[in-house]
Amino acid sequence: MNISFVLNGTEQRVDVDGNTPLLWVIRDMLNMKGTKFGCGKAACGACTLHVDGQAVRSCSYAVKFAQSKSVTTIEGLSQGDQLHPVQQAWMEEIVPQCGYCQPGFMMATAALLERIPHPTDEDIDKNIVNICRCATYYRMRKAIHRAAEIKQAQSNA
Amino acid sequence: MSNEQKPKSKSRRKFLVRSAIGLGVIIGGGALGLSPMRRFLAIAVDEADLAYSNDAGVNLWFEVLADNRILFHCPKIEMGQGAFTGLAQLAAEELKVPISMIEVVNSSTAKGPVDGFSTGGSNSISGLWVVLRELAATMREMLKNGAADIMGVNATSLQAKDGVISGNGKTMSYGEVVQQVTEWKEPEETPTLTQRQDWQLIGKPIPRVDLKPKVMGDPIFGMDATMPGMLYGSVARPTQVDVSFQGVENAAEVEKMPGVVKVVVTEDFAGVVAESKTAADLAKEALKINWKVNKVWQQAEIEEMIKVGSGKAFVIQKEGRAKRLLEEEGAEIMEAEYFSPMAAHAQIEPNGALAYVEADKATIMMATQVVGITRKEVADSLGFKEDQVELIPMYAGGGFGRRLHTPNAMQAAALSKAVGKPVHCFFSRKEEFQNDTFRPPTHHVLRGRLSADGKIEAFEHQVSSGDVAFGSALLPRALTAVAGADFGAWRGGLNQYKAIPNYRTVSWRVKLPFATSWWRSLGLLANTFAIESFLDEMAHKAGEDPVQFRLDHIADDERSRRLRAVIEATAEKGEWGKPMPEGRAQGFAASTDANTPAAHVVEVSIEKGEIKVHKVTCAIDPGIAINPDGIRAQSEGAIIMGLGASLFEKMEIKDGVIGPTIYGAYKMARMKHAPKEIDIIILENGSKPSGVGEPPLGPIGAAIGNAVFKLTGQRLRSMPMELS
Amino acid sequence: MYKNLLLFGFMLLAGLSLVTAVDPPEPKPDAVPPSLETPFDQVMSVVMHQRCMNCHPQDDYPRQGADSHLHRFGIERGADGHGLPALQCATCHQTENNDFSGVPGAPHWHLAPLSMGWQGMSRTEVATAMLDRSKNGNRSHEQILEHLTKDKLVLWVFEPGVNHEGVAREKPPISQEAWVEAVTQWIENGAVIPEE
Repeated sequence: MNISFVLNGTEQRVDVDGNTPLLWVIRDMLNMKGTKFGCGKAACGACTLHVDGQAVRSCSYAVKFAQSKSVTTIEGLSQGDQLHPVQQAWMEEIVPQCGYCQPGFMMATAALLERIPHPTDEDIDKNIVNICRCATYYRMRKAIHRAAEIKQAQSNA
Repeated sequence: MSNEQKPKSKSRRKFLVRSAIGLGVIIGGGALGLSPMRRFLAIAVDEADLAYSNDAGVNLWFEVLADNRILFHCPKIEMGQGAFTGLAQLAAEELKVPISMIEVVNSSTAKGPVDGFSTGGSNSISGLWVVLRELAATMREMLKNGAADIMGVNATSLQAKDGVISGNGKTMSYGEVVQQVTEWKEPEETPTLTQRQDWQLIGKPIPRVDLKPKVMGDPIFGMDATMPGMLYGSVARPTQVDVSFQGVENAAEVEKMPGVVKVVVTEDFAGVVAESKTAADLAKEALKINWKVNKVWQQAEIEEMIKVGSGKAFVIQKEGRAKRLLEEEGAEIMEAEYFSPMAAHAQIEPNGALAYVEADKATIMMATQVVGITRKEVADSLGFKEDQVELIPMYAGGGFGRRLHTPNAMQAAALSKAVGKPVHCFFSRKEEFQNDTFRPPTHHVLRGRLSADGKIEAFEHQVSSGDVAFGSALLPRALTAVAGADFGAWRGGLNQYKAIPNYRTVSWRVKLPFATSWWRSLGLLANTFAIESFLDEMAHKAGEDPVQFRLDHIADDERSRRLRAVIEATAEKGEWGKPMPEGRAQGFAASTDANTPAAHVVEVSIEKGEIKVHKVTCAIDPGIAINPDGIRAQSEGAIIMGLGASLFEKMEIKDGVIGPTIYGAYKMARMKHAPKEIDIIILENGSKPSGVGEPPLGPIGAAIGNAVFKLTGQRLRSMPMELS
Repeated sequence: MYKNLLLFGFMLLAGLSLVTAVDPPEPKPDAVPPSLETPFDQVMSVVMHQRCMNCHPQDDYPRQGADSHLHRFGIERGADGHGLPALQCATCHQTENNDFSGVPGAPHWHLAPLSMGWQGMSRTEVATAMLDRSKNGNRSHEQILEHLTKDKLVLWVFEPGVNHEGVAREKPPISQEAWVEAVTQWIENGAVIPEE
């Protein structure tokens, strides 16, 4: 079936079985590799992206549901050279190790900050349940708090 | 005088210099895939004592480009451990350039140095510590010699700094030199390396060089590899252990499924090639495969096999007369058993490869920790020579030892060969969990005897483990026969308190009916858990403070002094023995691994029946710290990963099937389990750098268990640790 | 009764010998199938089934699987039963089952409100709560009938899809048609809850 949606601000149209996971449409048909495959079972969160601003695990999201919606991936999180506060904080705290799960974490964090601008440690523990095998959680927690500060400063400016 | 300061004679290292500036000496410039217009200086090394060589005639380590960038073809892969950054620091230090001028690229086997062994064992930095700096220093001197010729001055009057050569009022960038030089001159002798007090980059906490691409989501991983016309493969893997492949019943039927290009059946496996990932997976699921079940295994059988006394014993450490003292009639002997379970690697990027097999050559793009071995296996499987296979390493989405065993590259190649197109083929998550090369389960029996004054008189550790190093492609079979005990299994299992007068370590080897192998730190976590918990039991029995008890048994050789310093620093910074709030307690443990001692003080409480770790203080001594921030990152990660392994992780077998097969059911550390405070103290009491990726993982399980004992009186002797 | 047990035992043996390629299913908590004689029996055989009950907890945590374990990853109810602010049910669960991931889905996938927390209760207690307008969202019998027979989330239990290993989830003991029939009969006959 023909499905059209906006991906990182650009209209995309694909002809594909509507049940195909959005993850594979984005990675293999649209060739954007930032959204990762980790488990295919919505368990690890590596494939997290935003659909109309909500964090969604794209391995478990049929592409047909994206019809006419706006999808944002890690490639669309920054505005050109201007990094998203989450990315800035990730740079400042030097969070990634292997880096593979990090796009999913950053997308989950960006969604968190839209809903809870200043999350507590408990908010972070409960809402960010992705898996990082390098266990970069210690720095991620710091980076999430830092991202909240950067975001606040930007909205004040 | 330390090793690295000794000038090397020229005969020891033979540098082969290539240049792209139209000189006759260029061999295969076109084959290197370099534009004829691109000017560069390549430096290669032909080194008998190094396991780095490709068969392409050129071992490209560095390329200086006209725009003054320097490409560093790194033979170690980057899997999060920070090797690219640490090695770039070593190179930049001697090249006299800022780190921003260095661009680290994965070394393709057709161009750069090929690692004939592995990225692993926490030895990337220590293994290249001298060689890489000498290569870089040699190249710097050649640039200076070239600049001297162009400027018409003596090279000794020139300085190299920040990628610019200057002297006598003239300056040239490295990029300008490579464009103009007509004849490269090697230095007469390997240059003297920069003295420690002059280091500009070594020892500095610079941000990792791959930070930006990883924050931007750039396509750098094996999973992200693409080629034009690429198809998608999927290989059917057994869900049950100890089975053999007997063929496929419905190949023709599956081949008719939508999007399926071909069903490939070999002697060893069956797979499909399709036009999309989902079509390949659906077709693979539809295959009816005959597996011959050799035996249906149960968990209880594995646990029985793994018991001390069941396998083959090797005494690997013996001092004094421990055995006699521990079996003496009437003596008071302490004895305890410890267990650790089978565990999965569970790295987030699954194993896989993109392969393109053509008539007389093959290209493989993948993340592998054994570049040279993977290439050889693929070449052998295709009947090719090694130089007919180009392996282009990619960033690894986690390694942890899982990518030391890569038959999947051969499978991807077989699929590609069958269809004549590039095929991208990756494990499913369930396949990862069921076809892992598991961390083997272990069983430990410890015995100890205290003297009248409360010191350890005799100590014995017996560890029984499934194979770790044995059975690996990294280890020639012949060596296995000679070595006897599996050094991977007993890693971390030796007694490190050499002031104990009588001690003995026995390694029992057990071959399990499924693949067990390297898992970050190998036996270190389990062995340290057993030894350091039992030491705590002995300290308690002796009525001694656990930290003082350890210090009392440390000898006075160099290695022991480094261990002592780490223990003392950890105890001091972690405020060992300070009054704790109600419901909290401290625990302590230490270990030495990859020549790096590390110790932890942890603070734990019990919340809703679960063990909660609030704070970890860790001192670690990597000899010389190349990048303190990288060392901190590795230590933080190792501590949290080890915490999860100690408290949660467990794979089990039931009716021949290993599970669980999904994250969550396979419980690992998550954000909420990460301690809120982690304090890393870096000591530098060595004359050269030692490993960092694995050593800080060692003490965490024992430290937690010891704290729980202090808090509750319960001695937890089995991982994953659960309160009763 | 003994005959039933014997038959069940036989099925178990037969089942085991076939199970080689997948994780064996979790043992059912209750090995004896409940009686399905009356419409009330039939209704409650569905309501009490883990497919329904897993999302009717008396606490803030959904359950999963045949063994009703706590939902992995510490998933919570949140303010409105749709999950936490940035960890909504819809992060993973869409409006229909996903056969690739094995994640179940249906329209407005969410946790039943606390007033409809039934886990751990007997079937008469559950039935009583279901009819109690102070607990059931102020629904009349007619509205209950409508909800139980038309709501797509309720009816999901009859098409629960496959799990993460691609194995079909266990369905309640009666079909959707039999359920609609039984609910209709029970409610139209006064929704009597027999004493037990």
